[in-house]
Amino acid sequence: MLEHLDDDIRDHIEQETRDNIARGMPPEEARHAAIRKFGNITRVKEDTREVWRRVWLEQLLQDIRYGLRMLLRNPGFAAVVILTLALGMGMNTAVFSVVHTVLLRPLACPHPERLVWIAGYDANIKRDVADSPDFVYWRQHARSFTGMAAYGPQQAAMVTPKDAQQVSGMVVAGDFWSLTGARPALGRLFGPPEQDTVVLAWDLFENQFAADQHVVGKSVSVDGRSVTITGVLPKDFRFPFPMWWQSVEPRPVEAYFPLPAKDMAMGRIVNVVASLKPGVRAAQALVEINVLEKPAQESRPPQFIEPTAGLRVEPLAYKLTGAARPALFVLLAAGSFVLLIAVLNIANILLARATVRQREIAIRAAVGAGRARVIRQLLVESVVLSLIGGAGALVLARTALAILIRLSPNAAPRLQETSIDGSVLAFTLAVSIGTGILFSFGPALALWRTSLHDALKGGARTSASAAGLRLRGLLVSGELALAIVLLIGAGLMLKSFWRMHARPPGFAPESILTMQVRLAGPQYREQPAQEAYMRELLRRVESAPGVQAAGVSTWFLFESVRFPSDTSPTQRHTIRLNAASPGYLKALGIRLLRGRWLNGADSGGNAVLLNESMARQAFGAVDPVGRQISTPEPATVVGIVADLKYSQLDADPPAEIYLAYEQGPFFSGSSVAVRTAGDALPMAPAIRKLISGIDPTQPVYSVKTLEQALSDSIAPRRFNLFLLGTFAAVALLLALVGIYGVIAYAVAERTREIGVRMALGAQRREVVRMVVVEGMAMALAGMAAGLAGAWGLTNLMASLLYDVKADDPATFAAVAAALAATAMLACWVPALKAARVDPMVALRYE
Amino acid sequence: MSTRSPEDRVGLLQGTLDVLILRTLLFGPAHGHAIVKAIESSSEDVLQVEQGSLYPALHRLIKRGWISAEEGLSENNRRAKYYRLTARGRKQLQVETAKWEKLARAIARILKPASEEANS
Repeated sequence: MLEHLDDDIRDHIEQETRDNIARGMPPEEARHAAIRKFGNITRVKEDTREVWRRVWLEQLLQDIRYGLRMLLRNPGFAAVVILTLALGMGMNTAVFSVVHTVLLRPLACPHPERLVWIAGYDANIKRDVADSPDFVYWRQHARSFTGMAAYGPQQAAMVTPKDAQQVSGMVVAGDFWSLTGARPALGRLFGPPEQDTVVLAWDLFENQFAADQHVVGKSVSVDGRSVTITGVLPKDFRFPFPMWWQSVEPRPVEAYFPLPAKDMAMGRIVNVVASLKPGVRAAQALVEINVLEKPAQESRPPQFIEPTAGLRVEPLAYKLTGAARPALFVLLAAGSFVLLIAVLNIANILLARATVRQREIAIRAAVGAGRARVIRQLLVESVVLSLIGGAGALVLARTALAILIRLSPNAAPRLQETSIDGSVLAFTLAVSIGTGILFSFGPALALWRTSLHDALKGGARTSASAAGLRLRGLLVSGELALAIVLLIGAGLMLKSFWRMHARPPGFAPESILTMQVRLAGPQYREQPAQEAYMRELLRRVESAPGVQAAGVSTWFLFESVRFPSDTSPTQRHTIRLNAASPGYLKALGIRLLRGRWLNGADSGGNAVLLNESMARQAFGAVDPVGRQISTPEPATVVGIVADLKYSQLDADPPAEIYLAYEQGPFFSGSSVAVRTAGDALPMAPAIRKLISGIDPTQPVYSVKTLEQALSDSIAPRRFNLFLLGTFAAVALLLALVGIYGVIAYAVAERTREIGVRMALGAQRREVVRMVVVEGMAMALAGMAAGLAGAWGLTNLMASLLYDVKADDPATFAAVAAALAATAMLACWVPALKAARVDPMVALRYE
Repeated sequence: MSTRSPEDRVGLLQGTLDVLILRTLLFGPAHGHAIVKAIESSSEDVLQVEQGSLYPALHRLIKRGWISAEEGLSENNRRAKYYRLTARGRKQLQVETAKWEKLARAIARILKPASEEANS
């Protein structure tokens, strides 16, 4: 109505001007007179708009009041709709807030958008690496960056006023503090040239130093060295950069040390983060890094022969969330599926009610309400409902988030920062309004087509209900189509889990206790002292009651090794060597396939065992027993052991060479494995005490059963499965309620018809069959569409699966069968009710 | 220019413009400018409409469903919005006219003696 107002006013003034000219005025004056006579144009426009605004608002308020009255009159209906919505939207809100935190919210650093990750991928250890000499060179010569920092994990034995503590620390170098934007809560942050200093995280300061301010400037013993505490970080400071070890060792960073100058020069694998200069893009920085690669390599220390290949410079945010990204998108999609099912369900209920309300609405139309007005009324009712549902969703999402974070705090990076903030509120508000509009479409459409005359004449039951029922059948089919996609997704993940947990016979991780020990301090600097400690450890643990086998192991990598099966003389491999005491393999339950075990006589390192994968890689089809392999010292293979997944459930067991534990570098920390007679967990405190009794200054940590450790190794996957599983369960429930509702309603509608049929001799069995067949036609049509959709969609979640194809026919078939069976049940109940119809009663009823 | 001097002119009473518009449209659809002109000329230029106030009034009437607006061409072949009296508007005009006549009679009856007194 208002769109041409400006034109109208302009035309009006032009005409008046022309009239004035006709009366003899000069054109300029004529125009002024016309405008004068018209009055204040802006005010006229405002007044005109006001006319409509007031109506609009008045009607809206009226509609809302009316809507609320209608809801109060049908509290059962309102409760069902609000609950369904709260469930559907609550899950979406929870997932959105996780996505928002993990993927969208910028890091809490200055200029997070300029931070980049510089690394190359090492296929052997399956992670990104950078070398410290390169870092030093880049930081000195590269011009693309305003700052560059290197860091890496550092376990350290700290003797605090309380006790000896294994501290999970971080060694940092370069512009680490300025890149993270850290400010000290107490004292100061050490500068680049300082060594033998430490900055404490607040938690460590509180727990181990009793939050005593006077410790700043004092010294503590770290790995037997005296180190000065220069400062303490504030409580809310979190280490913001990627930590690849978090999935293995999910502990917060407790202390920050300067990266030792010796390590830096000698070469050490580090993680590198840099801040781009304004206006410089990551691709440009990469070009510069690649140009610097040649001189950087020439400046490397001689023992560093292998350069890091395929360097990348990518946004830090991407690196940080890269692994969680596909999972979160799948969850987001799953969440919207659940919401869509909820909407379809509610549209369904509203449609059923629309038929009942047809008379009321027809009366309103008859006394002068336009169709548009009635439809708007329905829209407002829906939006009011969904806004209430949205409020419920927020409450639900808060609870769900709290539970999720408690269950698996490290399932996704930054998960613990997740909260319901302004953006999440805005998201839920938008979803609520959108949802309300969406589910009012169906009923509005049905009303649009209704003939007023029929509605008034026919009473509550009208001919339009047949069309309505068809529409409702379509909605239910849609629900089942969506539900089956979710169920198949969840089914595939469940099967992945089952595959991951497949274990060889005799492997009982719940009766194996694992823990870490690390020898630190001047008294263990010599190898004989380390060996003596380990011998004593094994002696004590093995003689403990209930212990069947015990061993220690430490693994390390060796680069540039040649395999006997190599065909080209330039081939080189990185091998994983596992220095394990004889009892270690037995404690884990690794089986010997051929040859013999290592024994005390093999401590020189010239006899080794291979696991199956290693044997296959190094020797191909040849039987390795009795043959030589380079470790890189030449050694004889004396036996082959079976592959076993004893560290990471969702990856193939690594190819390994086992050799005598005396060959291992104990100072880097060793794992202890203890196999007990029954459940290992109750024995944990006793064994821990036994080991710390050897030397109380050496911490024993990460004490858990192998079952726990393995389960921790797939925490993100468990998180995804839990969420997707919940989504699928809710989807199933909603879809079943939907199909049940439609069938039950159809049966109620047709009570009279059924009565007639039965009066004419139809058997109860036939009535049941008729109802079930109709329901199942609806369900099967939806499922067929859903299966076709799932066939394409599950490919998107391929990266979340393990050892299961995205189109695994067995899963598809099993889910389809299970859903069909449940849908059948949902049809059966109303069908039985239909069969109990008493023809006499049914006929008299009308 | 108008044939009357400004002192002879009377501003519109609140609410009377609506009924005048309805009355004007009784002769057939018209566009905005034509409506004001018709009101002014048929009152022999006694009544003066502040032309701008026409538009809120027109929209008020549309909102109440008494008139409708449609697109058309003006005499000089330009796009113009025409306003047309609806059936409800016609009914409303009867109601309003009756009301006005009653009111005008009543007021005239009250004021008559005073004006005679003033003239004497």
